[in-house]
Amino acid sequence: MKKRLLLAAVCILAAGVVILALVRGRTRMATAVKVKSGAEGAMPYMARLGSQTYHHYCATCHGQEGRGDGFNAFNCEPRPRDLATPAFQKAKQDRDLYDAIENGGRSVGYSAAMPPWGKTLSPRQIQALVAYIRQLGGGSQPRSGGA
Amino acid sequence: MTDRLRLVFSLSSVLFLIVLAVSPVKNAFREYHAYQHDFRRLAADHAPTARAAKAIASRPDRIEQIWIPQFGNRVDRCITCHQGVSEPSMTSLPLPYSAHITTAHTPADFDRFGCVFCHGGQGLATSAKEAHGKSRHWPSPLLPAAFVEAPCGRCHYDTNVPEAPRLSKGRHLMERYGCYACHPVRGYEAFAADAPSLATTSMKLRPSWVRSWLRDPRAIDSNARMPLFRIDPAEGDALIGFLFSLRPSDALVAAVEQASAEPPGDAGNGEVLFRESRCISCHTVEGKGNDSAPELSKVGSKAARGWLLQFLKDPQSFNPSTRMPAYGFSAGEVRDIVAYLTEELRDFDEPASQEPPLHPSERLVEQGRRVFIKLGCFGCHQVEGLGQQEKIAPELTAIADKKVSSLDFGRRDDLPRTLAAWLEAKLTAPSSFAPGLKMPTFSFDQDDTAAIVTNLLSLTAEVVAPEYQPAQSTSAGLPSPPAGEVGRLISHYRCLTCHIIGASGGDISTAPLTFEGSKVKRDWLARYLMVPYTLRGILPERMPYFRMSQEEAERIAAYMSDVFLDDRIRADAFDGKPPTTDEVAIGERLYYRIGCNSCHMIGTTGGYVGPPLSEAGDRLKSGWVAYWLENPQRWRKDVLCPNYGLDREQIQSLTAFISTRQKTAGPAGPAARSEGAP
Repeated sequence: MKKRLLLAAVCILAAGVVILALVRGRTRMATAVKVKSGAEGAMPYMARLGSQTYHHYCATCHGQEGRGDGFNAFNCEPRPRDLATPAFQKAKQDRDLYDAIENGGRSVGYSAAMPPWGKTLSPRQIQALVAYIRQLGGGSQPRSGGA
Repeated sequence: MTDRLRLVFSLSSVLFLIVLAVSPVKNAFREYHAYQHDFRRLAADHAPTARAAKAIASRPDRIEQIWIPQFGNRVDRCITCHQGVSEPSMTSLPLPYSAHITTAHTPADFDRFGCVFCHGGQGLATSAKEAHGKSRHWPSPLLPAAFVEAPCGRCHYDTNVPEAPRLSKGRHLMERYGCYACHPVRGYEAFAADAPSLATTSMKLRPSWVRSWLRDPRAIDSNARMPLFRIDPAEGDALIGFLFSLRPSDALVAAVEQASAEPPGDAGNGEVLFRESRCISCHTVEGKGNDSAPELSKVGSKAARGWLLQFLKDPQSFNPSTRMPAYGFSAGEVRDIVAYLTEELRDFDEPASQEPPLHPSERLVEQGRRVFIKLGCFGCHQVEGLGQQEKIAPELTAIADKKVSSLDFGRRDDLPRTLAAWLEAKLTAPSSFAPGLKMPTFSFDQDDTAAIVTNLLSLTAEVVAPEYQPAQSTSAGLPSPPAGEVGRLISHYRCLTCHIIGASGGDISTAPLTFEGSKVKRDWLARYLMVPYTLRGILPERMPYFRMSQEEAERIAAYMSDVFLDDRIRADAFDGKPPTTDEVAIGERLYYRIGCNSCHMIGTTGGYVGPPLSEAGDRLKSGWVAYWLENPQRWRKDVLCPNYGLDREQIQSLTAFISTRQKTAGPAGPAARSEGAP
């Protein structure tokens, strides 16, 4: 009788260990999932890609830092947009920026001085540009509803 | 007795069961189950359709893998946990579930490349720690995000890799700073640095200047490409002795000596000529300019007057492969320019002292020769009579394959034990590892260093299978620089230093000449070659005023008009029927409606990103204008003019407007000409 009890105890113990491990495993994983991978420190890849495109095509009017003060800005009427102000960054969704770049200023109710780039740049290049524009003026987080 | 046996039997049965259960239980506890469970829960909300949500919810709980037998037999199980990686709808999920960003190869090529080829880590592993390669003895842990472009370079061998800006920058820097002159790297066997020839050192420089240059080139020229060598004073003296013992050809010696006896010139006129000649299209003055030729702000304290005079007269006699064009200056003009260089572009802080000519002893010269070879100076500076020398630095072809355990960290106990950290430190502080290392110090900033490390991490011994190699860009059938008189002129004026012709040439100019004949009118070209003016005010690089003779200009213009042609481009967009005023008026309205004026100037209004169009009709062939408007990027991939997607009718009317802008219609030439003076 005593031995049978011992046997049962061993079995229960084993089952207990198994259940405990299972529960612990689940909880541990759930916390691990929340940890995001290391941020890049400098600029993320997409923004870097966008930076290249921006400085090739856009900076002549919008300026090296996006302040709307490029070499050609003063020949444009109206003046190019200052992309680095918090107000602008806040007012525009990624989708808005994408549309303005793709179809030009006129298509979104602004000036034709901002040309449509949709037939010159690939969708990915425009996405990268949006990612870079989000870095201007201190680099706010990309907004959802992404392009 | 039986009770005891029974007990032993039941205990061992339980033990046996437990042992038997170890494997399935261990499997049941693998972390990926939890990840997959979590993913099914999170992803259902993000699925684009109900059906997709259902499919995700009923995904089996199992190890998933990408197996690519034809690509090094790779097996990558990363998608076991990174479940949403190929599904664009999962973009906003947290890691490890989120979709991969869209790149040139994702999501399209997951099945061709897998994950580990680009990101590093251990593909076969099924736990995060092991898979990310953080376990002991796994040679290639996850590549830090800063260097994520490195693997692009394992298949793409061009200097410019599209969509890999950091890698491309690293490759440019390694070419610019001549890394391949000392380090052998596969693909760069024929690399030749364009450092100056040292044969005329004794006729050009003063020993004290060379001494301070050797001490720190950047202190003299902030754009200097030559790195800082740690040379002890005795070695420095020997090296200077050797350099001053070098002699060019007798004819050159005589020419320089003769030139130094010439009377002085007028520095004021020299300054005008200097600016007019657009020297900063290649050179820099106080850092401003194109930076593909030496800084000139202190050249007057550096180079001897006789040397400068002879160099400006005939630069190609110093070095037949120099990129410097020969200008058609008169003897007086050369004297004026040199007067400006020696009187104005000099280091005014330097004490004026006459240095006695250096006559190094034979022993010193021989000693200097050995130092020259030991430091590997010959890697960049060609010197005759040194014999065949091996590159002095370790081969870098497979540097990215290096195991951390085989790296010598020397005194650098502070560094993380990773290849990237080791390379970064080697680039920024090469002398900090051990005394006596030969690698000189470059002044790379953080961004440059990251770019070069990215390129270094792309250098592996493995050559990918042919079907994984990107198509090489070919430019067959394009004219190459011709032989004969036109070829001589193209070489004399060094057109290829700035312009692309066919498959060769530099990119200082944005205007390739390959199909110049299809683009511009012959008369205009001849006039422009004789007296060029500013076409693109936004660029610091402008066409130099070579003082070409009319005969030479007409010869080149005629040749280009006859030969540098693209048969797809018509000469005349209107087939001999000039456009009607109506057509021109429609074109004019379109021109302003789509905003051409924000970049181009007509009359006195407009932008100056593109060339002014006031005289476009005198310059451009109408067929070319129409061809350009159809798709500007067909002319050159990186032109700034956007493709507006105009229809045939719009192109025709816009062409009508642009090609009727002629001298009579807008302001005349002199206005544009004066714009050229900086």
